[in-house]
Amino acid sequence: MIEIQDVKKRFDGFAALDGTTLTVPTGAVYGLVGPNGAGKSTLIRHITGIYRQDEGAVLVDGQPVYENPAVKERMASIPDDWYYFLQSDVRDMMRFYCGFYPRFNMERYEKFKEVFSIDEKRTIRRLSKGMQKQVAFWLAMCTMPDYLVLDEPVDGLDPVMRRQVWSLIMNDVAERGTTVLVSSHNLRELEDVCDHVGIMNKGKVLLERSLEELQGSTVKIQTVFQEGEVKLPEDLEILHRSATGRVQTLIIRGDIQSVTDRLSVYAPLLLEALPLSLEEIFIYELGGVDYEVKDIVL
Amino acid sequence: MISLNYRDASPIYAQIKSGLKKLIMTGAMKEGDKLPSVRALATELAINPNTIQKAYNELENEGYIYSVPGKGSFACGDIKADERRKDELKQRIRALLQELRFLGAKREELLALLEEGEEETK
Repeated sequence: MIEIQDVKKRFDGFAALDGTTLTVPTGAVYGLVGPNGAGKSTLIRHITGIYRQDEGAVLVDGQPVYENPAVKERMASIPDDWYYFLQSDVRDMMRFYCGFYPRFNMERYEKFKEVFSIDEKRTIRRLSKGMQKQVAFWLAMCTMPDYLVLDEPVDGLDPVMRRQVWSLIMNDVAERGTTVLVSSHNLRELEDVCDHVGIMNKGKVLLERSLEELQGSTVKIQTVFQEGEVKLPEDLEILHRSATGRVQTLIIRGDIQSVTDRLSVYAPLLLEALPLSLEEIFIYELGGVDYEVKDIVL
Repeated sequence: MISLNYRDASPIYAQIKSGLKKLIMTGAMKEGDKLPSVRALATELAINPNTIQKAYNELENEGYIYSVPGKGSFACGDIKADERRKDELKQRIRALLQELRFLGAKREELLALLEEGEEETK
């Protein structure tokens, strides 16, 4: 389990993390999402023990991470700027990883040679961005991690490789119960692989829930009422409402069944309830804290 | 074996569920046939294994599959599932009937349809 307890981190007076609290249960695939500059990467650098927090605690299985090799050897990470030695090839980096990760699995390393089809003698610096990412994956997966911390992992990978990489991770999750924390802006993809989601904004976690709960707790309703406007009950929490002609689109907090039950009292001509995609949830939740697409005419 | 439609609004576990249901109901998967393991399906579709487990659990509750601890999940060929499918299909016909009535279809037309269908399946 990864626990972040009320962590604060300031850079030159700017609070990048401002009381962040978050829990990743063991065996979960946790998607960390948030607008640019929300503090996702900063948080990830705390979890991997690169930064030391000013306040609060960063614990993995109850142990602090910072300068704790016993925890770090069970954790693999792919940062957005993966580090490799300038003149090194894949083999050199593999040896480097072997030094840090006692569980490094050579059998896997050989197997993945076919998966990634990258010549291990090629200098990493001369590989393309996407191929470098593949190398980072290759080595990270070979360390047999209990914790996999990924910052924008599939950024720069082609569609085949993205699927390949997710498929390898999902296999590990199913077989070894690997705990995964992943930050990404590709919400469509996260929806497939994650079972928990945390939304960050301005150094804080706005909400964190299991994906099932999150998708079961908001509904999109398309409806047409007979008398046009109907006064809806006050206690119905409407996150967003828009209208095209007579058709109203409402985003309402609550599960599909109870919301439709409550609205059907008004005998609408049309009442259609749709589950929300993660992308919609992201947009509406952040819309509530004034982060949204602004209507600007140029 | 199962294909996911990413443009579909219905959640992935529901799509996996209906995909497997279809295989069982059409007879593509016979009674006692082994379903792919959660891990195999998670790897193949690049989907969270918990999502697949959830679909399997619901299918088991609905009587389409049964699981043997340590062996995996298997397709059921029992009647309970057939009854449920009947209810589902009736529900779909109800929706279609509603639309037909809205379009002005008469009672005689609908009855003729029913007779036609009976002739064909004889």
